[in-house]
Amino acid sequence: MTTTDETRSIPIVDDLTSEIPPVIDEEFTDESDEVEAFRPSKAGWFARGLVWAVLAWLVFAYPVNFFSPFNVGVSDADTASLAVIFAIVGLSLNVLLGYAGQISLGHQAFVGIGAFTSAYIVTDLKLSFWLAIAIAATFGAVQAAALGAISLRVSGLYFALVTLAYGTFAEEFLFGITALTGGEGGKPAPRPVAFADEYRYYFLCLGFLALVLWLDWRLTRTKAGRGLMALRENPRVASSYGINVKAYIMLAFVVSGLFAGIAGSLLAHHDEVIVGSRFNFQLALIFVLMTVVGGLRDRVGVVIGSVFFALLGSGKLVTMLNLGGFFEGVLGLPTEFVALVVGPILLLLTITKYPGGIGQQVAPIRVWLSGRRFDRHAGAVQEVEVNDVRA
Amino acid sequence: MSVLEIDSVSIHFGGIKALDNVSLRAGEWEIVGIIGPNGAGKTTLFNCITGFYQPTKGKVRYRGKNISKMPVHARTAMGIGRTFQNVGLVKGTTVLQNLVTAQHLQVAYDPWAGILGGPSTFAEERRVDDRARQILELLDLEEVRDARVADLPYGVLKRVEIAAVLATDPDLLLLDEPGSGLGPEEAHKLGDTLLSLRKEFGLTIVMIDHHVPLVTRVSDYMYCLNFGEVLAEGKPDDVRRHPEVVRAYMGEDPDQPDDTMVVQPEEEYV
Repeated sequence: MTTTDETRSIPIVDDLTSEIPPVIDEEFTDESDEVEAFRPSKAGWFARGLVWAVLAWLVFAYPVNFFSPFNVGVSDADTASLAVIFAIVGLSLNVLLGYAGQISLGHQAFVGIGAFTSAYIVTDLKLSFWLAIAIAATFGAVQAAALGAISLRVSGLYFALVTLAYGTFAEEFLFGITALTGGEGGKPAPRPVAFADEYRYYFLCLGFLALVLWLDWRLTRTKAGRGLMALRENPRVASSYGINVKAYIMLAFVVSGLFAGIAGSLLAHHDEVIVGSRFNFQLALIFVLMTVVGGLRDRVGVVIGSVFFALLGSGKLVTMLNLGGFFEGVLGLPTEFVALVVGPILLLLTITKYPGGIGQQVAPIRVWLSGRRFDRHAGAVQEVEVNDVRA
Repeated sequence: MSVLEIDSVSIHFGGIKALDNVSLRAGEWEIVGIIGPNGAGKTTLFNCITGFYQPTKGKVRYRGKNISKMPVHARTAMGIGRTFQNVGLVKGTTVLQNLVTAQHLQVAYDPWAGILGGPSTFAEERRVDDRARQILELLDLEEVRDARVADLPYGVLKRVEIAAVLATDPDLLLLDEPGSGLGPEEAHKLGDTLLSLRKEFGLTIVMIDHHVPLVTRVSDYMYCLNFGEVLAEGKPDDVRRHPEVVRAYMGEDPDQPDDTMVVQPEEEYV
């Protein structure tokens, strides 16, 4: 009797599993099985190599006017550094918003505290820049941890309000303490001698971006990243998997604060004189916009989104595309507000049509560049992720 | 010493007594079944054991230790694993990734070492990944390894969930309706799986299910809850025939027990 039962029961299970379409998620599958038979042809490799070379040129050579057919000046290198710093801020916010599902509308305070810490240490204490950036990162982490402790008690919309108030409080009060921040005149933040030159400073910023990218990549591929992924989606399941939900939310805040502190320090020495009013609410808004439009949880997308908004905000992009006449002349929109108009439009597009943001748009190219077949639908598996931010 | 000992636990939500003076124990290697109509407090009892709820009164002991005040993740660390009534998996990611995530406590490195990218973390990641694949193989789930959880049908998810909870390396397995949504044949196969898992992993299992034949077949001891109280306990067959139990389920006269309740299981499965 039992033997017939067993033989009878097999096809049913087969049926169950065979109905499932083999969905393959590009993000998480490991090389071993997925490589199949596909190998790009020689021409394919050449095309990929060419694109890689152009990208490398764009990042390493173009901003510093090396091999540049265009006339790129010091101020362009300066903007490029700012773009890289924004990318670090974007990755910092991505840890909170993307991985932990915690909103921060006061991220300008995270960055600002790093900036003033670094400026104070270099200018007033006359210590080295390297020590200053390390301490700025630590301070960023400490203040983020304080906010994290609050987030464990106040959640959702109320926590969003707390971060909003915190950002404004930092701008209006903390950054106005003359003894620490130089008040309205600002605090000088000289660059380290070896990187005083705009071009060299750009590479310094790139170096720190590489460090942050490495940490972010390892975060998502290890225990802590998986813990965050689980708790963002379902805290109950996460805790039954043995994940200490509160501790990992704190960890996300600390990591985010570390990144923001590094970005702040770089920003201070980029501006060379740092002023409190730079860290207004508009900046926080741009930070959130660039991260979401870039594509939450998508490293490449966040970097591209941040760079885009940095260039837009500084007016560089408008000048480069010769759109100054259109925005200021036709629309009567001053260049410095373009980001705040274009941003929300892109945000709406992201929320309604392309939930993966820019990251989703560039995913096919990224997949192709990594030596796989060009797949127009790569990265499209991501679903609407905006509602999972507990705001 | 019993693995799990629930000592007259009561829990009140406002004026509602969800559990009233419930005592239950599960010995080493035992499979304990809990049946009872909807709203009887079965899942509430699980929530007290795993720590989602704090009992108003009474104690929960695990291997002699009072765990009533411990947080959920600490209880998982002690070896209490559970599944959920409506599938407790991280839906936005793959089956494999779920099993890797569930091994959180077995990962040997510190989370910060992982973020910094310490050299030993890479090898450990490979080990955890292999282990996840092994468990999937064991439960015949290799086909769905790289499928996204959200894309899978309910019946498969119920099995994936068991795989995920096994990945947490439990001693005591709490299964909340593992047989829901399964046909009689699949339920029978699930019974076989549970019996073999107990042997293979040395598990103590407490399971809630409405599928009375399944629970009767695999359990060594059975409880029936109704309105937050233990209505009957004992050998599965006795509990199933217990007049109070029949009445609670069927609302019928105990002198004329309903056929479907009593006869069905033995004819079909034994």
